[in-house]
Amino acid sequence: MSKNKLYSLLLIACSAGFIYLLYQSYFPESNKYSVCIIKNISGIPCPSCGATRALQLLFKGDFIGSILMNPFGIIISAILILLPFWIVIDLILKKETFYTFYNKMECLLKQKKVAIPLIILVILNWIWNINKVI
Amino acid sequence: MESQKVDLFMMMNAKHFESYQLSAIREKLLQMDESKWPIVQSLQLKDPTTSLIISIVGGGALGIDRFYIGDTGMGIGKLLTCGGLGIWTIIDWFLIMGATREKNMEMFQKSIY
Repeated sequence: MSKNKLYSLLLIACSAGFIYLLYQSYFPESNKYSVCIIKNISGIPCPSCGATRALQLLFKGDFIGSILMNPFGIIISAILILLPFWIVIDLILKKETFYTFYNKMECLLKQKKVAIPLIILVILNWIWNINKVI
Repeated sequence: MESQKVDLFMMMNAKHFESYQLSAIREKLLQMDESKWPIVQSLQLKDPTTSLIISIVGGGALGIDRFYIGDTGMGIGKLLTCGGLGIWTIIDWFLIMGATREKNMEMFQKSIY
C-alpha cells in the first residue's frame, strides 16, 4: 500500500470514528440498534462489541469502568487520539515516519511468536465479552 | 528463462493476478535469470476465491480476510472496530478479491528483486 493511500484511509477512518462517537453521545437512544453484523445475525457479541461504550466511559474519566466494559477501548482511544497528530505532523514536515513504523509493525506482527499470544488474548476477550452479555 | 517454464507458471497462477498484469509478469519472467525459478515457483500466492469465502462466512467482521492476505494493519483496524462498524465488512466483500491480487503482485515483485 502506498503512503498517500494509507494516510488518507486512516484520516477518513479516524474522522468517521469521531463522528460516530459524537453521534452516539448526542443520541444515546439509538444504542439499542447495534452496528455489529455478528451481533445482529447471531446474537453473540463479537470481540470488540462494547468498544463505543468503553470509549465514552474513558472520555468521562471512568478508567476502570472502561476496562471492565471492553479493554479494546483503551487501544482504540490511543489510536484515535495519536494517529491524526502523527499523520498531520508527517504531512507538514514531508517525512514518512509513520509509514515506516506501520510497515515495521506489520512485519513484527506476522511473526508467529508475536501473533499467537495476541490471537489468544483476543479470543479470551471474546469469551469474556460473551459471558458479560454486552 | 525458458518459455516452456514461463507458460507453465502462467497457466498455474493466472487466477492469482489481475488480468492486465499478466503480460507484464510474462515479460519479466522471460527476461529473468534461471536461478530465480525456485524462488518464483515456491511463492505462497493467496487464492482470491478463498479470501472471498473467508470474508463472507463471518471472517469479514473480525478482519480475518485481511489477515489472510497479509494485510495485518488493516486487519487489526477491522478487528478493533467490529469490521468498520459493519460498513467496511460489506465494502470488503467486493474489494477483497482485487486486494488479494494486488498483494500477490506485490509479493511477486518483492521476490524477483
